Amino acid sequence: MLAGARAASGAEPGPAVEPPTIIDTNVTLFGWPFRRLKYGDTAALVAKLRRHRVAEAWAGSFEALFHKDLDGVNTRLARECREKGADLLRPFGAVNLAWPDWEEEVRRCHEGHRMPGIRIIPGYQPFDLGHPELPRLLEVVKQRGLILQVVFGLEDPRVHHPVLNLQPVVVGPLVEALKAVPGARVQVLSFAGNAAGTDLQALMKDTTAAIDISRWESNGIVGKMIGAAPGSRGARVPLERVMFGSHAPYAPVETAVLKLFESPLTADQIVAIMRGNARRLLPAV
Amino acid sequence: MNSRDFAFDPAYYGLPTREDLVAYRIWDSHFHGFNATATPMAQYRANNLYVERMGIERSITLEAGGTLRQPLAPAAHDAEMRLLLEQERNRLSGITPIDPGFPDESCAKMREWIERGPCIGIKYVGGNQRGIVCSHPNNDPIIRYAAELDATIYIHTWLKVGGTPRLPGRDNNPGESTPMDVVALARRFPQVTFICGHTGGDWELGVRVVRPQRNVLLEFAGSDPHSGAVDLAVRELGVDRIVWGGHGPSRSYATEIGKVLDADLSRADRMKIFGGNFRRLAAPIFRRKGWPIEI
Repeated sequence: MLAGARAASGAEPGPAVEPPTIIDTNVTLFGWPFRRLKYGDTAALVAKLRRHRVAEAWAGSFEALFHKDLDGVNTRLARECREKGADLLRPFGAVNLAWPDWEEEVRRCHEGHRMPGIRIIPGYQPFDLGHPELPRLLEVVKQRGLILQVVFGLEDPRVHHPVLNLQPVVVGPLVEALKAVPGARVQVLSFAGNAAGTDLQALMKDTTAAIDISRWESNGIVGKMIGAAPGSRGARVPLERVMFGSHAPYAPVETAVLKLFESPLTADQIVAIMRGNARRLLPAV
Repeated sequence: MNSRDFAFDPAYYGLPTREDLVAYRIWDSHFHGFNATATPMAQYRANNLYVERMGIERSITLEAGGTLRQPLAPAAHDAEMRLLLEQERNRLSGITPIDPGFPDESCAKMREWIERGPCIGIKYVGGNQRGIVCSHPNNDPIIRYAAELDATIYIHTWLKVGGTPRLPGRDNNPGESTPMDVVALARRFPQVTFICGHTGGDWELGVRVVRPQRNVLLEFAGSDPHSGAVDLAVRELGVDRIVWGGHGPSRSYATEIGKVLDADLSRADRMKIFGGNFRRLAAPIFRRKGWPIEI
């Protein structure tokens, strides 16, 4: 048996499966505007991720929440990834549909910084997913072969700083836009959906968007979502669209990794979520 | 695969193994296994899979007797709940919700479910029809009686931002206590220990609100995981004033355990948070009932 792998106790020893390293699709660099984060320093974050066997992390920038000079934001992000996590961090630049000249920002991210994707944060960035230029953004990222990450619930709105008064971001217009631009590669981050589950259902039924696990809550939630929990009536999210995301350094890395052990998942399911699905969406460098 | 098996070794990922989790002696002081479902017993049984996997030693349900929505109204499964609390006493305890809008009725319920029943404590829920928070004078007879019984006292708190101008706590439900309410109540009963639930709702503020009131413990459960939160609470309050809850099944054990794993703590201090501190609080009523308890 390979180091780190463990046979089911009391079970017949089966073929050894090497424990996979993790691709974390949801980390963010630089300062959270409202608190100094424990692992907010990039070098500390990289070391922390490595301790939990994260071998690759897709990194956005908290500066993108409020900054207007996104060229500066993206340049610093690219440099930080290169200098402090070259073999681990892959930068996802920011565009803001409410700011002018965003298509040029996409071009610079792609051609200048060689970024594999773009991240938008509607709500904090002053637009919602009904923005008339969202379909154009989808077209642009599709033409360039980029991934678009759409961030939803960064923080519980009940504990927002009082100066923030953000409107809830609903996924419906994204679903409609994606229907009009099939083939665009999109991942939603920190997406919990509404209580009834109808928006998640629409996202899964009508689009091919991927999703990370960082916002999923409930005992055994990962297994329940992919239909692997005992008594499950089927998958709410197809396994092949589920990706590991920690929302570090805002959230503890441990919470997301432990979710994969809380659910009774098979080795194949864990491998798919930890890295297989993400690698299919974004090949190795 | 049985319920205790993991496909890979958690230690490889920098996490505790199941054996490590068991050794932490985790007491889930905030268990919602019977809440918000038409089939509470079935939900409890289904959740046991995750109790097993995460090595939880004891679950303390906060909805024993009545429901959180209607604490003083009998629930259809009350008799079954009493039986279960007796049958599974080795791993399940009960705390019964009360309503400070109705202090006499609340004390009567405490007599039925704690003094003459299987429960070990009371819970203030997150709101009530008369809008009475825990700092209101109505609470004094409830707390006096709880102290007489050695009952644990858990108070749901939050600081929901809202109002005009927007401030933390101004969007709380009617009757939903703030950590400030807990401190006001605790000042009137300096010999009684209180648990301020959900870290006050907003942990960075809640920690500082309860800090000077040493008979108030702070509970981590039922809020989003924030890296550094437990570190800050331990720094301000000391490790002996922190208790832990899982808040499952609506929250993940993984989420709540992860908060503690994130903190820079010794194993002994983790054990205090995961269960030792709550066991110390609950020990008097366990002994009064003649139940064994090892702190």
